[in-house]
Amino acid sequence: MDVFILAAKSALAVMLLVAGGAKLADVPGFAGTVRLFIPRRVSGQMREGIAVGIASIELLAGAVSLSAPGWSWVNVAVLALGCVFVAVSLVGYALYRGRSCRCFGALSRRKFDLVAILRSAVIAGLAAIAVLRVRPADIHLNAAEHALLLVVAVVLVAASFTAARALAVSHDAHPEWAGR
Amino acid sequence: MKIPVYLAVAQWALLLALGLLVIILYRQLGRLGSSKAATELGPKVGSRAAEFSYARVGDNSRHYLTPGDGQPLLVAFVDPTCPACEQLVGNLTLATDAGDLAGLRVLLLTSDPPSYLQISDTFRRTPLEIGMVTTHGVREAYNAVGTPLLVAIDGEGTVRAAGAARELQEVRAFSQACVLPSPDTTLPVLQGAPEGHER
Repeated sequence: MDVFILAAKSALAVMLLVAGGAKLADVPGFAGTVRLFIPRRVSGQMREGIAVGIASIELLAGAVSLSAPGWSWVNVAVLALGCVFVAVSLVGYALYRGRSCRCFGALSRRKFDLVAILRSAVIAGLAAIAVLRVRPADIHLNAAEHALLLVVAVVLVAASFTAARALAVSHDAHPEWAGR
Repeated sequence: MKIPVYLAVAQWALLLALGLLVIILYRQLGRLGSSKAATELGPKVGSRAAEFSYARVGDNSRHYLTPGDGQPLLVAFVDPTCPACEQLVGNLTLATDAGDLAGLRVLLLTSDPPSYLQISDTFRRTPLEIGMVTTHGVREAYNAVGTPLLVAIDGEGTVRAAGAARELQEVRAFSQACVLPSPDTTLPVLQGAPEGHER
């Protein structure tokens, strides 16, 4: 059971790091999604600031969750994020069905649809599992191991950023045009 | 030395994620390296522009556009949440106001419902005609796999330039391509400009 809990925890941390890095690679694009959920009068600069803030929160949660598994409050924070994802999916499905959520920047073309709600629910479910307690020995890391995981997290974010940026400059950056 | 269970599990998750990212990068590298990448956006220059119908945003009236009725056309495929599209629409509006597009018909095409256009000041304020496409298959006919896509069509219905333009000088170049006398003088360099989506 512990292995399953830790797998859920590390998978979520990795997902947050990839999502955060990809969003930072295409801030204006993700700000376009942010615009769907905030008042129209908010300026473009502010929207981009909010987009960077969301990406930063994901990166922070992912990095801390991955490199410091003993900090149980991070699991609760990730669960809260998962609940936010579900709420955003529901609102997006209700108001902007079929639009791309750009949840992974240019890495993904996922849209606000029923599958997205299900996906968010699975993420929230995994986050709920990750909150469960495990044997302290299973997550006891020494300083070098903490540092190693943090370094790998940075490498993962850099890889995610690079991959998303590479896609963002291609013609698939805005596949919204459905031609219906 | 015993490895903590968490470290053993986390390394697999990291390996999987890094592997996926490497595959994405490798595929993208292949696309950039192929000659196809430079021409994959927009219809082929020199081809016949396809007909299509659209509902005009504002009065919801239905129209059927047949390129080749004698009037050159600038057709822009846009998306209101795409910053590069906003830039293109803004520059098309500027060029129109400055008289650079005199004699041309400019049409902004979107697949989004009119309510989505309200989230963008640029789209809401532009005096340019905006149409919501109602013909199935326009995406394929114009190879509109991304936005923004600007297509210059001459009075005979021939595509003279197509690509991811958004700058004012690009808009002017496309407008000139619409009225150039010979297909030999089209602007192939603008075809599927790979920097079109860079923001």
